[in-house]
Amino acid sequence: MSQSSVIGPGTTVHGNVSGEGSLEIFGRVEGSVSMTGQVSLSGSAQVLGDVSGTTISVHGTVQGDLSGTEAVLLERGARVVGDLSAPRIGVANGALLRGTVRTEGETSLGVVKRPTATAFKPHAFVAKPVAKVEPKLAPPAPAPPPPPPPPRTDSNAAVAAAEPNVAVAAAVRAKEPERRPPPPVLPSLGKGVKATKKKGRDE
Amino acid sequence: MAGTVIGAGLNIEGDITSDEEVVVQGNLRGKLTTSDAVSIGPGSVVQADVAGQSVSIAGQVIGDVTAPERVDIQAGGRLVGDVKAARFTIADGASFKGAVDMEV
Repeated sequence: MSQSSVIGPGTTVHGNVSGEGSLEIFGRVEGSVSMTGQVSLSGSAQVLGDVSGTTISVHGTVQGDLSGTEAVLLERGARVVGDLSAPRIGVANGALLRGTVRTEGETSLGVVKRPTATAFKPHAFVAKPVAKVEPKLAPPAPAPPPPPPPPRTDSNAAVAAAEPNVAVAAAVRAKEPERRPPPPVLPSLGKGVKATKKKGRDE
Repeated sequence: MAGTVIGAGLNIEGDITSDEEVVVQGNLRGKLTTSDAVSIGPGSVVQADVAGQSVSIAGQVIGDVTAPERVDIQAGGRLVGDVKAARFTIADGASFKGAVDMEV
């Protein structure tokens, strides 16, 4: 059973507060606060200790870490010395904060990253087949002219025929670096040294 | 409305010091001191010394209770501990074990 609790402005708690439901703090807590519901700290609230809950909204003073499973919201007038961590974090104009901020559970970013990673691989796979099929490259884009050359003059046809080859050669040159194996790793030993070593092994 | 409410489901381990009315419906372990009234509701478990202007007990209290004005144990209330108060009532159906000092 959960019910809302209040720590009034004239009340000081020395110790840990935990439980279910929401909690409103107007007074002072010297200890940690751990709730399963919302935690609200009013302007007069002072908390010396860590605070955790679903949504934590702060108008008062906290010296300790704030961690919310949903959100941490620092409103105007809040003074926090400690770290914030929650999927959603809001710091209003007029709030003071000293500490690190971490937005956990970045589901949106994770979704964005994966598609880009998978999109890159297909490109690499497509590029290789194109390079291997070079000989057959002539028919594709600019090649169609050969069958219907009649309208064109011989010189034009020759140029048209030559151009694809040039283009193919350029394409081959451009793609060669991709297919090349990594450069061989050469030993940094002198000629004589290597020879004598081998000889030594054989003997 | 009461100044401080320790709702059902809330656990406090430590001392509570206050100058306003305190209502306990949850669990408290430690010490409760206020200069105003204290109400310990049914279903609550208080393992603490309780001091207030007046104290009303309908839950379970283990600890000494001190009040300048009065202490009332309601029906269904349960107190194990000593009572120090000017006035003291135990309702029918309440249980109490301890000493009473009425400052005669």
